[in-house]
Amino acid sequence: MTMDSSRLSRRGFLGMGLAAGVITLTACGSDNDKASSDGNATAANLVMTVWGGESDKTAYQKRIDLLVKKFPELKVTLQLIPNDGYAQKVQTMIAGGKGPDIMQVAESVNVYSSKNQIQPLDELASKAGIDLEKRFGSIGKLYSYQDKVYAIPDRSGAMIVFYNKTLFAAKGIEAPSADWTWDDALAAFKELTVPGKQWGYAGSGWWAQWWSFVYQNGGKIIDDSGKPAVATDEVIEALQWAGDLIFKHGVVPTQKQYADMGADVGGDAAFANGKVAINTTGFWGISGLTKSKIDWDVAPLWKGKQQAVTAFGSGLAVSRTAKNPAAALKAIDFLTSPEAQQQIIATDQDVPANIEVQKSEAFLKPAWMTKPVNMNVFGESSGFVYRAPFIPQWNEMQKAFDDGLADFWLGKQDARTALTAIQKRLETIVKPA
Amino acid sequence: MSRLRRREALWFYLFASPWIIGFVVFLLGPMIASVYISLTDWDSFTPPKWVGLQNYTRLLTDDPVFWKALWNTFYYAAISVPLGLVIGLWLANLLNKQVRARKVFRTLIYLPTLVPLVATAMIFKMVLAPSGPLNDVLGIFHLPGPSWLLEAVWVKPALILLSVWGAGGATVLLLAAMKGIPRELYEAAEVDGASAIRQFWSITVPQLTPIIFFNLIMGLIGAFQVFSQVYILTKGGPNNASQMMVPMLFDEAFNFYHMGYASAISWLLFAVILVFTLLAFRTARRWVFYETEVK
Repeated sequence: MTMDSSRLSRRGFLGMGLAAGVITLTACGSDNDKASSDGNATAANLVMTVWGGESDKTAYQKRIDLLVKKFPELKVTLQLIPNDGYAQKVQTMIAGGKGPDIMQVAESVNVYSSKNQIQPLDELASKAGIDLEKRFGSIGKLYSYQDKVYAIPDRSGAMIVFYNKTLFAAKGIEAPSADWTWDDALAAFKELTVPGKQWGYAGSGWWAQWWSFVYQNGGKIIDDSGKPAVATDEVIEALQWAGDLIFKHGVVPTQKQYADMGADVGGDAAFANGKVAINTTGFWGISGLTKSKIDWDVAPLWKGKQQAVTAFGSGLAVSRTAKNPAAALKAIDFLTSPEAQQQIIATDQDVPANIEVQKSEAFLKPAWMTKPVNMNVFGESSGFVYRAPFIPQWNEMQKAFDDGLADFWLGKQDARTALTAIQKRLETIVKPA
Repeated sequence: MSRLRRREALWFYLFASPWIIGFVVFLLGPMIASVYISLTDWDSFTPPKWVGLQNYTRLLTDDPVFWKALWNTFYYAAISVPLGLVIGLWLANLLNKQVRARKVFRTLIYLPTLVPLVATAMIFKMVLAPSGPLNDVLGIFHLPGPSWLLEAVWVKPALILLSVWGAGGATVLLLAAMKGIPRELYEAAEVDGASAIRQFWSITVPQLTPIIFFNLIMGLIGAFQVFSQVYILTKGGPNNASQMMVPMLFDEAFNFYHMGYASAISWLLFAVILVFTLLAFRTARRWVFYETEVK
């Protein structure tokens, strides 16, 4: 009798285990609950997620403070998530039904839009009277998927050229300009290189860099029909040019030489140390250099057959779980208005996407700048920005490039072989929408 | 009597319940869920689509990265685990001698285990640089050092080097067990004229086999699940030469949003670990010696 009862309770526990399993199962399986109701833009508690570090937090918080001051009925809680964990954290928040009302998105925006995890904003934006083209210029509809806008641009700046003025002056080379051709650039790199000690250019191993050359050369990573097109002559030629800078001309440090400069030293750090004369990176390079001992300035990127340059930035989207999308959009409307966007440059965070602010004195001569820097480059470059393919499989595509180009960047493979293999891989990853 | 037993059973379940509930809710539940997920195509956002065994067949027949990751993980486990054991045993044996400042050595050898893995990995990045300290040492012996983390051939040995760094953890356990070996055994062997080496192989090692066995099992499981080192040092590169099973499933789940596919990988990994653990237990009968067991 006693044995029986204890066996029964053991079975009971097993049953509980199964039940718990089933509950977890159903909880995970049926997340697609009701679409959020279209609330009116009255009082709302909003959660906003952004990535970055402490300085980003300050910048966003200042803008939110301005917002709340103007619209006291809106309450915004800012959640800063470290870069590395951002995607995962937001993924679990949305999957758990508690997604952020306002979320920062960038290149991987269409991971969310293609799966209906963020809401199309066209209607809300036009209702709120936001003219995207007028406010943000050519990048107004950057974060679109299948002709619908899913995020409002918030920060946006082209990749720019940083050059070491001292080294340029010593060789009597004129400052880089948008009119430089590949040959002009190469000639300058060669002049500025001292074998084994100093290099003309920091290199272009990052997608943002060599893709600029691809688009300058008339190539495309993803063609207009949505298919990968990286094994074309234009792309191959551009990549080979970038690779030749390292192995044929020796004007860019090899990976080995970089690894010897210290742990995690890349182009930005090598430029700040005066080891390379030219570096191509984004706005953050400026704040990184305000304390550097070298004398530097910035210029727009050179050109190939045509002008083209990658832009960095991010937008603000409204997740599907937002209870009051209208209020969220009202907040975004204000956050991207000149009044709030001014804080982005005032706090030395980034380039504001609002072109009115980009042209303002506050942007061209920021208070924190320790020396005159040609801030006009961002305005000058904005017309050159190409439309990068923000496909839903963005992360997988980047991994395919990382894997497929590993040998190329070590000088063990030519561009044609590498890109032909990558094209095959991409064809299995990228399915045209 | 029966009332007492029933009360006893009740108390047993009461006290065990935090663990039972924890296991069921946080382990068994998710495990069952992941079996289901592994049979679906699920991006973690939209409802999962049932695909049957398609994830498994694609993994086993159509994914070169999976086979590469599996091979890399085997390579890593097959070398790092035995190597760690041998070095641990060697260090323990040295520490067991009557050397001066033994406590200091013991601390120093265990210390690496206490340093957070992230910090160790960052330091190894510098140590393994093409002109870093390690290659400087090799240079003394006129050996050309490779670019450890940049070359496909050398990146796995580099990770194994990093794992050996933590061999001190096993050393402490082995040392404790060595201290527990009865003196009389050695005295008797000495009387019989056994050399120090003979004593080591015929007394020390057999007496240590339970601890070696424990370290083997834990080491195997740990090696098959290696993640942080790979994630920090190489992210699986160059060209997946250091991609292992867990970093791969992490990528698939949280970077590529293939939750179903990732679940399938985790179940295959589970099967691999299970097979090797069972294998170890099966052979254990032949070489693990328990004093209480009479054969």
